[in-house]
Amino acid sequence: MYKIAQHLAWLSIWRRKTRSLMVIMMIGLSLGGLLGLQGLYDGMISHLINTTIRSDSGEISVYAKEYRLQKSLDYRLLAISKYEEVFSKIEGIDAYSIRLEQEGLIATAHKSLGAILKGIYLDQEQNFGQLSSFTIQGEYSFGKENTGSLIGSALAKKLNLSLGSRVIFTAQDASGEINSISFRITGILKTGNPSIDDSSVFVSIEQMSKFLNLQQSATQLALRVKDSKQIRIIQKELQTLFGDVDVLRWDELYPLLIQMQELINIFNLASYAIVFIVAALGIFGVMLVSVLERMREFSIMLAIGTPYKMVRDQILLEASFLGFIGYMAGAFLGWLLLWYMSTVGIDMRSFEAGLELYGYSAVMYANMHLYYFVQAFFAVFFATLLSVIWPLLKLKKIKPIQIIQGKTV
Amino acid sequence: MKLSHICKTFYPDSPKEIKALKDINLSFEKGEFTTLSGESGSGKTTLLNIIGGLDAATSGKIFFEGEEISAYSEEKMAKLRLNHIGFIFQAYNLIQVLTVRENIGFIMRLLKFDEVAINARILELASILQIEDILDKLPSELSGGQQQRVAVARAVASRPKLILADEPTANLDSKNSERLMQMLRTLNEKEQVTVIFASHDRYVLEQSKRVIVLSDGAVVEDH
Repeated sequence: MYKIAQHLAWLSIWRRKTRSLMVIMMIGLSLGGLLGLQGLYDGMISHLINTTIRSDSGEISVYAKEYRLQKSLDYRLLAISKYEEVFSKIEGIDAYSIRLEQEGLIATAHKSLGAILKGIYLDQEQNFGQLSSFTIQGEYSFGKENTGSLIGSALAKKLNLSLGSRVIFTAQDASGEINSISFRITGILKTGNPSIDDSSVFVSIEQMSKFLNLQQSATQLALRVKDSKQIRIIQKELQTLFGDVDVLRWDELYPLLIQMQELINIFNLASYAIVFIVAALGIFGVMLVSVLERMREFSIMLAIGTPYKMVRDQILLEASFLGFIGYMAGAFLGWLLLWYMSTVGIDMRSFEAGLELYGYSAVMYANMHLYYFVQAFFAVFFATLLSVIWPLLKLKKIKPIQIIQGKTV
Repeated sequence: MKLSHICKTFYPDSPKEIKALKDINLSFEKGEFTTLSGESGSGKTTLLNIIGGLDAATSGKIFFEGEEISAYSEEKMAKLRLNHIGFIFQAYNLIQVLTVRENIGFIMRLLKFDEVAINARILELASILQIEDILDKLPSELSGGQQQRVAVARAVASRPKLILADEPTANLDSKNSERLMQMLRTLNEKEQVTVIFASHDRYVLEQSKRVIVLSDGAVVEDH
């Protein structure tokens, strides 16, 4: 009996081709657009998070207590080798980077600006977040004598610096004395992380330690974790081992990113609600008209003994076919959009300055996950079910013989 | 089929109250070819609908093969109609998206007949009703006479015990009416199926073996 209902449902949706195609198109276009937008927004926020993790926080960072509030070298991490020893023993830690930073003044012959000088190990940073991939000019190196520096692109622009330019950095050392150090620019970095691009200069940690009169010290130990599910476990383990330091996750260091992600999730949810309503109203309209104009046919079917269950199944299947074809069209369109946006990307170079201000890349790439399609499927599925309730109630109320004899319902 | 003290009142206890049937007592034997006749509004269609379980009597009892069916639930009544009663309506009422072949086989498929048997029966009826060449057409491509023949084929395909036909010739010209009646008569004789018409068509009355005349909801003649 189900087979007959299936056959009738399939034939019935093509009875009025234009109407059915319109509703399929309506679902398909709105769903395809939604999938594309969802992937793009996800991609933008993922890019931002990824850049931040790679260029700065890692999944976990260790700071001396009070350092993040005071930014003073008095609150630095000491005896770094003890931390390194522990990091090498924890299975879930993929890489780490030792950083020593100090705020100060960067100056050229013409201009001076506040900046952050960061002492790093190039090989560690490469292993940690492939820092070299952010090099847009020059080379990923501090030169033969280890006295070069890598500068953030926005800061270089503000100071009108180019490769080979010399800069002087002035800051307080560990004993409170004002010291200056001179570096030549060997490379310019563009990470997409405004806190780096706008104000950071990277130098070798050996030079930085000498400049600040420090040994075996760091202001930040940033860690990369092999599996994101392990972040909280490793954080807890480190906090237990080093009770007197702050062990913080990336989302604790950058709560704004999480808020942005939550905002995107709310936006996606609202978009799904819109698609749900569009699909439900579209199918509802078609099914209601379709059922009403076929009341006579359904009455005949019921009169000659067709069980109500079969007529109900036929209507449910008609709506399901419309919803499913609409979903397939939308999923295909969405997949196409996502494929394009995740491989080729969307070139937004004309808005580059504005986007960079918020840390977004000028070429935006979308994410593509199976769960987008699963969520969309359930949204359309429930919209389909909801849309036939009223037409079915209408059908349930009819007295077949009254319809056959031309009386109103 | 036996009807005992059947009454039907529309809009009871209201100013619009209509007593459509008054104390009808009738029985129909197997293989009968009977017409319920009477003026418009005499109650013949109402009676036919009650016999077929499409409408419920206000009072009285209906027996089918000795079993009282007047208290059947909607679902049970639908099952009875599907298994034992064939309907032919005035306006043909075929399923528009199905071909002639599928329309004829519709009830048999609902009853889960074997596909081979369904196809054989379709061909047999198509031959009797002379519709072999339109089997793959849609109802919208057929004339009124052809559609009514298909409706007859659908009604008799599953070999029901009873066929109820409400004004089957009303929309047909005399030639097609004659043809349809001859075919129903052949089926009645060949397959021993009981046929009850509701009609005031003179030709239908002439062809019937028994005529029951109703007037103001009561049987006034039965011969």
